[in-house]
Amino acid sequence: MISIKGLKHYYTDADGKEVKALDGIDLDIKKGEFVAIIGANGSGKSTLARHLNALLLPTEGTCTVGGLDTVEEANMWDIRQQVGMVFQNPDNQIVAAIVEEDVAFGPENIGVPSEEIRPRVEKALAAVGMTDYAKHAPHLLSGGQKQRVAIAGLMALEPDCIVLDEPTAMLDPQGRKEIVATVKSLNKDKGITIVYITHYMTEALAADRVVVMEKGHIRFMGTPKEVFSRVDELEKLGLEAPLAAKVASELRKSGIKLPKDIITDEELAQALCQ
Amino acid sequence: MLSEITLGQYFPGNSFVHRLDPRTKILATLIYIIAIFLADTPLAYGILIGFAALVIAVSQLPVGMVLKSLKPIWIIILITMIIHMFTAPGETVVFTWKIFKITEEGLILGTKMALRLILLLLFSSVLTFTTSPIVLTDGIEKLLRPFKAIGVPAHELAMMMTIALRFIPTLLEETDRIMKAQTARGADFSSGNLLERAKNMLPLLVPLFVSAFRRAEELAIAMESRCYRGGEGRTRMHELAYKSIDYTAFGAVIFLAVGLAVLRWGAGLCAL
Repeated sequence: MISIKGLKHYYTDADGKEVKALDGIDLDIKKGEFVAIIGANGSGKSTLARHLNALLLPTEGTCTVGGLDTVEEANMWDIRQQVGMVFQNPDNQIVAAIVEEDVAFGPENIGVPSEEIRPRVEKALAAVGMTDYAKHAPHLLSGGQKQRVAIAGLMALEPDCIVLDEPTAMLDPQGRKEIVATVKSLNKDKGITIVYITHYMTEALAADRVVVMEKGHIRFMGTPKEVFSRVDELEKLGLEAPLAAKVASELRKSGIKLPKDIITDEELAQALCQ
Repeated sequence: MLSEITLGQYFPGNSFVHRLDPRTKILATLIYIIAIFLADTPLAYGILIGFAALVIAVSQLPVGMVLKSLKPIWIIILITMIIHMFTAPGETVVFTWKIFKITEEGLILGTKMALRLILLLLFSSVLTFTTSPIVLTDGIEKLLRPFKAIGVPAHELAMMMTIALRFIPTLLEETDRIMKAQTARGADFSSGNLLERAKNMLPLLVPLFVSAFRRAEELAIAMESRCYRGGEGRTRMHELAYKSIDYTAFGAVIFLAVGLAVLRWGAGLCAL
């Protein structure tokens, strides 16, 4: 679905210094996969995300989406229709003053005939569980609801992949739960490829694969179990493993025999009770 | 506090007037305004008042609410009336005091002017009472579209209005939050003379503008990733379409305008 080869992205900052935001990234994302990208601030994860729908273009290397190269300007709108992007601030991505009008914004942009827009809007709102709010004003919704409307706005474009760039950073715990649940169901039920950028490790647990980034490089990747059991390495990169993994690791160090792949609270509880 | 401000004055309903196409309502309002300036006899004014009353009745709006829309500008109406009363040239003096005198002609002219302003406002407020700002925007976009050839950016104007409508509540909330934050740091927004108060607004306006620009940039990126590329080739979920009630409304208001034109010039034409 998405194939990134030798991707480098350099830019010049305000002081005229060259910043290597991405310094040689190789990553393949399969159709229907749920990939989480984690990394400390400034690790380049947002920059990477913005390459996936041609908001940023590579300085070197290539990024192809469904076989289309993002550098080709003629591909840009096809790519943006295939890969939707959700941003951090829920307020700043809703365009219209009524929820359903906002969801219709994408299909209107790509010129979907009028009579086909409404069914698309209804389907998209149903997919994120916001059908009851179709006629509401967005500013009266909670943060989690706003992000779900933003996701519905992308779903109405019928994309293959949704990239979420720290979608929960500005939400309360309730809103975070809503978004994680919505994203999971889109991945499992609708087969949407998900690229989920976060610095909440617990949210990354739901992914098929976790990619760990630091200073514009991918340090390592693997299943959540593989990644989060490397507690010490994560800590060196300024990341905090889930609490259960940390506790298990400390217990192992002090001589208690525990399996190496404990990452959730349930697994830890079960292992300790045996 | 600030969030209590409601935008526009839309009064939801399902009356004949509510169901009209926004373009019909805008055009009918313009025709009515032209008709107002055609009237010059008491009979003509009577007809105009009658028509306005009829429209308000049909729209099922509370009469008190519609009349209230005159409140912010009653002083302008009063001043217009007084100026006309005292300055209109005329022979028949009704009242004099020192150098001021009111003539009969002045009195009539002043009343006419005031009536025109009141009718104009009442009728256009029916438009905003019965049409939600979003629908109104759609109507304006559609009406301006033919003028695109001469450089009127119809789609861009409509998009700007849509975004403004969407963000005004958000920015009001933000203003409220910044005000509280600055008050907590000792800022004073409520005392001092006008100049001091204006100066005190600075710690409110600077962060508000900075954040508005940041929002604008993020919104632009979000719009781009949702395939927005201007009005070209764009479709709409709700396409506006004239229905039979629209033709009825057009018929009524055109009949009114023609009738008033005949009242004004018809007698002259007969005399020829």
